[in-house]
Formats: sequence, C-alpha cells, structure tokens
Amino acid sequence: MENEQNRLICRCEEITLEEIIQAIDNGCTSLNEIKRYTRAGMGLCQSRVCSRLIARIIAEKTGKPLDEIVPVTARPPSRPVRIDIFSPRGCNVKNS
Amino acid sequence: MSRIAEHPILGPLKPSGREVSILVDGEEVIAYEGEMIAAALMASGRRVFRYTEKRREPRGLYCAIGRCTDCVMIVNGIPNVRTCVTPVEPGMIIETQRGIGRWGGGDHGIH
Repeated sequence: MENEQNRLICRCEEITLEEIIQAIDNGCTSLNEIKRYTRAGMGLCQSRVCSRLIARIIAEKTGKPLDEIVPVTARPPSRPVRIDIFSPRGCNVKNS
Repeated sequence: MSRIAEHPILGPLKPSGREVSILVDGEEVIAYEGEMIAAALMASGRRVFRYTEKRREPRGLYCAIGRCTDCVMIVNGIPNVRTCVTPVEPGMIIETQRGIGRWGGGDHGIH
C-alpha cells in the first residue's frame, strides 16, 4: 500500500495507521483501549509486533512520554501452544 | 534460492539432517530433516506462505524467530503453525493457509 494512512500497524488483525489514529481521536489513550476499540494486538502474535508501534503513535499524538504508556495486559501462555498441551496426555504433542 | 553455505560469522554451514521429502501444496519438496519448514520453503524458492484474512494479501517470512506469526501455514492438517520455528519431519504435508485457516487442511482454491 502506497498510502501512509493505509499502512498496516497490526499485521495480524490488519489494522491500519488511520484506524489507530481514529481511535486516539475518538478518545483512546492507552494500548489496552486501542486494543479493545480496534482489535489491534488481539491477533495470533498477541501484539508482539504492533504494541511498540502503537505506543509510539500514542506518544506522538498525545504528547504522553513513552515510558508512561502502560504495556498491554499480557497473559500466559507466552507463546502459541495447542490447548491439549495442558491436558495430562499433552506431553506427546508435536508441532507446538 | 539456495541455502547459505558460507556465513560471515557462523562460518561454513552444512545441513546436518538427512534429506527427506515433504509435500507442499501437493508438490514434493526435498528438505533436510530438522531444519525449519520455512527454511526448506525459502530454499525451494517459495516466498508466499499464506494469504491474510481481510485484505487477502500474501505473507511469508517476516520476523523468522517465532514471534510475528506471519509465516503460519497448515502443517499436517493443523492451521496456524509457525513454520519458522517448526522442524521438518519426513512426509510432512504443508499447505498454504488462507485467512485463519482450517483444521484438516485441504482448503486450496477457496481464496
């Protein structure tokens, strides 16, 4: 995409720069708010790629210092695993 | 595209696993057992591993260290497998993933 507004910020959910900026214009001030408003960061990678980009956009748009922007809520597991890993027989699972 | 044989830092590189055959979208590809699926695909000249859900855009390797999930494919019928951190096993069936994929695979042509 040539258009900067159309540039993908969240690659998993395919959320554009324009959508992130719109969310901030509509009142979102934190990563968690933007996540719930746009789905950015809710995809397969769980915001490993986009959270830093979005934090930067918030900082630039609102003037809030980067180190005051709270990271998105992280919950285990920390990497994608199949749910049967957690079952008693899960130790046999491959491709995890 | 061939594999890196001489690396400026790691030195000479030789595949350590034995040659095995895997099936990629129905085509036989020769890979080395234990190398990452993505490496075998890149070495066979394949760049597109999946198509995205919304824009239907092609995706392939992006981070290559198992974080970004851009390289996910359907492996032995399991969708969303990160091919950059999943080792090749003999006879693996790898399929291009469309959107969020489908359990059991076999979704070519739905796109």
